Amino acid sequence: MPVSKARRREIKIGVLFLSPWLIGLGVFTAYPIIASFYFSFTHYSGLSAPRWIGMDNYVQLFSDPLFGKAIYNTIYLAIIGIPLAQVLSLMTALLLNSKVRFLSIFRTLYFLPSIVPAVAAALLWRWFLNPQFGPVNLFLETIGLPTPGWLTDPAWSKPGLILTSIWGIGGSMVIYLAGLHNIPTELYEAADLDGAGKIAKIFSITLPMLSPVILFNVVMGIINSFQSFTSVFIMTGGGPENSTLVYALSIYRNAFQFYRMGYASAMAWILLVITSVAVFIVFRFFGRYGYFGGTEQ
Amino acid sequence: MKKRLFFVMGFVLVCVVVFSRTEITFWYAWGGDEGRALVDLVDEFNRGQNQILVRPVFVPIGQGEKINATLVGSSTPDVVTIWDWMVVPLGESGALRELNHFLDLAGITESDYLDGVWDYGSYRGKKFALPTTLNTYAFMWNKELFREFGLDPDHPPANTEELDRYAQLLFREDTRGNIRRLGFLPNISHIYFYVFGGQLWDSQTEEVTANHPNNIAAMDWIASYYQKFNLQKIRVFQATWGEMASSYNPFYRGQLAIQEAGQWELLFIQEFARPDFEYGVAPFPAPEGGREKVAYLNGSFWAIPTGSTAPDEAFAFLEWLTAPSQSARFAAALSNIPPRIEAINDPAFQNAILPNMEVYLDMLMDGYVYFFPTLPVGLFYMEELNQALQYVQSGAKTSEEALDDVQQAIQRELRKYQ
Repeated sequence: MPVSKARRREIKIGVLFLSPWLIGLGVFTAYPIIASFYFSFTHYSGLSAPRWIGMDNYVQLFSDPLFGKAIYNTIYLAIIGIPLAQVLSLMTALLLNSKVRFLSIFRTLYFLPSIVPAVAAALLWRWFLNPQFGPVNLFLETIGLPTPGWLTDPAWSKPGLILTSIWGIGGSMVIYLAGLHNIPTELYEAADLDGAGKIAKIFSITLPMLSPVILFNVVMGIINSFQSFTSVFIMTGGGPENSTLVYALSIYRNAFQFYRMGYASAMAWILLVITSVAVFIVFRFFGRYGYFGGTEQ
Repeated sequence: MKKRLFFVMGFVLVCVVVFSRTEITFWYAWGGDEGRALVDLVDEFNRGQNQILVRPVFVPIGQGEKINATLVGSSTPDVVTIWDWMVVPLGESGALRELNHFLDLAGITESDYLDGVWDYGSYRGKKFALPTTLNTYAFMWNKELFREFGLDPDHPPANTEELDRYAQLLFREDTRGNIRRLGFLPNISHIYFYVFGGQLWDSQTEEVTANHPNNIAAMDWIASYYQKFNLQKIRVFQATWGEMASSYNPFYRGQLAIQEAGQWELLFIQEFARPDFEYGVAPFPAPEGGREKVAYLNGSFWAIPTGSTAPDEAFAFLEWLTAPSQSARFAAALSNIPPRIEAINDPAFQNAILPNMEVYLDMLMDGYVYFFPTLPVGLFYMEELNQALQYVQSGAKTSEEALDDVQQAIQRELRKYQ
């Protein structure tokens, strides 16, 4: 199909306006991604020229006990942390969607922790979870419950991290709130006429209507969870006994401290595969049980 | 008129050529008083000559990521401060200039340095950097607690057996089983490898010696502390310790009766402990047949990146900065140890020596000096040892199994560089 001169000019201008972003994407995202794929087949310290070693990095990964440990820890945090955070943020959003006094103050208060810088929050939680003088254990002691070693005990360190991550549910809560506002009130009115109770309305109207939002939050949760780094780096450094050695921390150490950039690149590509599989499963699940307003998923 | 203008322009050009100074950039890594002491030295260098102008820029080393990225790029500083474990990986990759030629020309030789220091940061005879100052560790005990428990406050344990006994005696738990005081806890495992007569690297054969029999014996001994005093309880107790550079330091709060302490602790004690706090410093006690006066060196280095456009000027500055007089003053400001013998004897350092520093100096001059092998694999070896210690502490592996695994992992990693 012939393209008119004016149209060609328009395309040119369009591309020109897009070019800062396109160049940025190419240089800072696409190139590093492609380069890291090549590096994953090389012995590359990050300093001198990479040397081709074929599949060695991948073979070595599967005999590295810390690799398995990092995958286990990351999946543990994701499988328990993400559903817990989603349920809690959805519940909070439902509460904050009701008509109570001082609603805007409550919304602000619940959202506030999620804008605390990650480093500050991690330092704060390190103190909160101190086994002897941290407020969490002092509270548990007051009500007569056992006081776990949290970040010092390998059995409790991951639950400790999950507790920390729940503190930042404000972000997804706000997205749920926006989603709740978009549900047409007629549906609830119709349900009222049919004599539906509160719980029935949540399961028959709210959740199905929110499913695209839930899908979005879950996918973002998976991505963030697989990439979590700051809180672990500051709170535990991966310890005790590697019980909080998460995947991103392991990649960072190999790439920047041990000068094993090739090995770390291989790890990053495996992370991509794991994340893709997880997101695929979630899409399949939502495709079957979610409601997308008649559009195909 | 034209002739005069020509003359003036010519004169200006000659002045610019004759009086212009080569500007070099120096990345230094100390803040506060230490940084100021270094910048004062740079100012002194700039005032003292008119060929080179050094521009100091404060760039903390951190984990080295930024410095690594800069040095492999094309626009680098002329002198950079890096950790000891970064020297060989950067040097071997071609990011740092070899200094052997410069050192030969300047007539700086091994004999100018303390014994064992020349090889520190070198690899296969290649010197890529010069040590800024040195840190080393000794055995430090709380004399007040010794007295309280009927021990002679002026006599530290003579050997590891006696140390075990003292540690048990000084240990305290509360009625609920929480640790209130640790007598002693071995922390930097490889110090005891050397104290027990082992080693990490054989520089003659260029072989890793992680599973040296004496290293295994030392690891067993270290693990015994974590078994005796309960690993989990120790961790909980350690989480209550305050910052080292504060009045909450567990050593002078009486939470830890005996500790491994770097010489900078002398400065901390002066600044943060009670003025009448009594403590002693001695070399690490050794088992029978072990090594006496083991001194573990660590610290930072100054290097000239390959990307420097003025390497001769950069070395001229480094030569001046590491010369005995300057080195003595800088080390005194940091409460560190200057690496050159002449600097140690310099009045600027001698007059600033803190009480008990003489023990550290004696260990360095008369003891068995070692440093963590500076290999192309960076921190990987150290991290593998940390992992090994964790496996042994938790009982997941025996010392022998754990150190055999370290041996294999490091050998495999080093082979990639050959």
